[in-house]
Amino acid sequence: MTVPTQKPARKLTMQQRYAALTHDLDWDPTYVAEEEIYPFTTFEGIKVHDWSKWEDPFRLTVEAYNKYQAEKDRRLYAVLDGFAQSQGQLSLTEGRYMNAMKIFLQGIPSGEYQAHRNFSHLARYFNGPGARFASLCQSMDELRHAQTEIHTLSHYNKYFGGMHDWNKMSDRVWYLSVPKSFFDDAGTAGPFEWLIAIGFSFEYLLTNLLFVPFMSGAAFNGDLPTMTFGFSAQSDESRHMTLGLEGIKFMLEQDEDNLPIVQAWLDKWFWRGYRLIALVAGMMDYMLPKRVMSWKEAFELYFEEQMLNGLFKDLEYYGIKPPRHVQWAIDEKEILSHQVYWVLYQFSHAAAFTTTIPNEEDQAWLESAYPETWPVFKSVVWDKAQRVVDSGGRYFNPGLPQLCQICQIPMGFTEPGNPLVQCQRHSIYEGERYDFCSDGCQWIFDREPEKYVQAWLPVHQIYQGNCGGPTLPDVAVWYGLEPGDAGEYIGSMDHQDWLKWHASSIKEG
Amino acid sequence: MAVVAISDYKFPSKSRQELYGDDQLVHLWWKGNPYFVAASCFRFPKAMPFGDLVELCKGFFSADPDLDPTAFDSVQWVIDDKPVTPDLGASLEANGVGHKSLVQFSI
Repeated sequence: MTVPTQKPARKLTMQQRYAALTHDLDWDPTYVAEEEIYPFTTFEGIKVHDWSKWEDPFRLTVEAYNKYQAEKDRRLYAVLDGFAQSQGQLSLTEGRYMNAMKIFLQGIPSGEYQAHRNFSHLARYFNGPGARFASLCQSMDELRHAQTEIHTLSHYNKYFGGMHDWNKMSDRVWYLSVPKSFFDDAGTAGPFEWLIAIGFSFEYLLTNLLFVPFMSGAAFNGDLPTMTFGFSAQSDESRHMTLGLEGIKFMLEQDEDNLPIVQAWLDKWFWRGYRLIALVAGMMDYMLPKRVMSWKEAFELYFEEQMLNGLFKDLEYYGIKPPRHVQWAIDEKEILSHQVYWVLYQFSHAAAFTTTIPNEEDQAWLESAYPETWPVFKSVVWDKAQRVVDSGGRYFNPGLPQLCQICQIPMGFTEPGNPLVQCQRHSIYEGERYDFCSDGCQWIFDREPEKYVQAWLPVHQIYQGNCGGPTLPDVAVWYGLEPGDAGEYIGSMDHQDWLKWHASSIKEG
Repeated sequence: MAVVAISDYKFPSKSRQELYGDDQLVHLWWKGNPYFVAASCFRFPKAMPFGDLVELCKGFFSADPDLDPTAFDSVQWVIDDKPVTPDLGASLEANGVGHKSLVQFSI
């Protein structure tokens, strides 16, 4: 008897399998014109000749994606349960550490959600299936990050102020208009600019400067949940970096006319992102009881070394130059965090976090990290603030600050080479004056004034009567602030609770 | 350069002067004193005498414990980068202070 020998079907390679599962679901439309289905991919001026050249570097299927993410979620939620059951909040380095996480909760998850929405839009409206699917994965990631960040930090809401109304606050509070306006700006741009803004500039150029401080800061300060969230997001972030890089290379390879457009977006979004993460600089150097590294060191490692000396050397091949105004950022690395925290300190009576004068240990660290600039700031501002405290007071700025029309940060950044004189720039557009903190922000305005005249500047909105009322208490209510959220850390509700918890544990022990 | 957009793109300023009625926004800046981390923004009547602004400064900037308020009697005022000797009895408007003007001094 002979058994007919039939060769078993050849197993597909990973790449073929992936192509079969994804790209083959794409087709060329015949009933309607391509422009009708994808109406947003031409007006920005980016020329694309062959969408099939956009490779999705990950070759993930939805099934595999869900499997990986579910596994990561299981691990994260197991840690969250364990932390809650073991009263993990008691093992933080200090109660004031939580101020960094308040800023994170108030500022970041709503940005993640914005990113989710806009990547969903790209997942529908990009012409090529590779680009669409990569956007779909990132869209799901961003939603997952928003959710897991909220869940991760929700435990602390039971024990600390400032975390109860993060959602309302992210829409209303003055310093949170900084991230909100950033994402509004990116989300109202076209799909390719969005990709350079978020996919490349934010997720690639600056992501390590954003994530490493928060996540390593968490690890160093006993915040196991945030650290675990960070690990859970990290593998997604590396995928996002690859999408950002793939996106910029795709645009540059498709047509040489795309180069000046991409370069201008890169110039703009480097500066927008850099100004946004100035908040991180202040957090790193002043709000972590145990520091990982200084802002200056992080900037040198993650930006100057990895990006300027690494990535931009590769991009030179396409004609891309380092971002305009990058030198200004380099020149600021010794003073940025001092200036940002000084803003936060004197306006924390209207914020959902607390601040305090750096203690002796903090000051010793600042002195070693910034031997040139810390002594100057100490003698000019902190010694005076300390004198006010010694005489029974607390310095809060009695007014509302002038804000930059672009980054919306109070205009406390200084002239290059003169750390004691704030930088004042302004442009007149259609007879009205607009103010900026830097050449970078002014340049962004002058490119697209029609866009930025619409900026919702918190101070101006307060004066127009749109924020709950004319007085600071009215505005605080409208912000959703509750007693204990704002002001000085020493003697605050968080501080008193922290001392109480630890005093009683010593008694019981 | 104009915004690259999918349709006509023209919107009014969200902080144009008419939104403040007879008032306007004015920025006060103590140049060279970073104790006030940024210039401060106020809503003042256009008709407010400049002298009232000087009196306000004496109180407002005394948040700096080292301020000697009499210093305001002899400061050099600078309005929108132009050194001026203001007429204290005349209005802000008459002294050249416009919407979102920067009024600065050094001590």
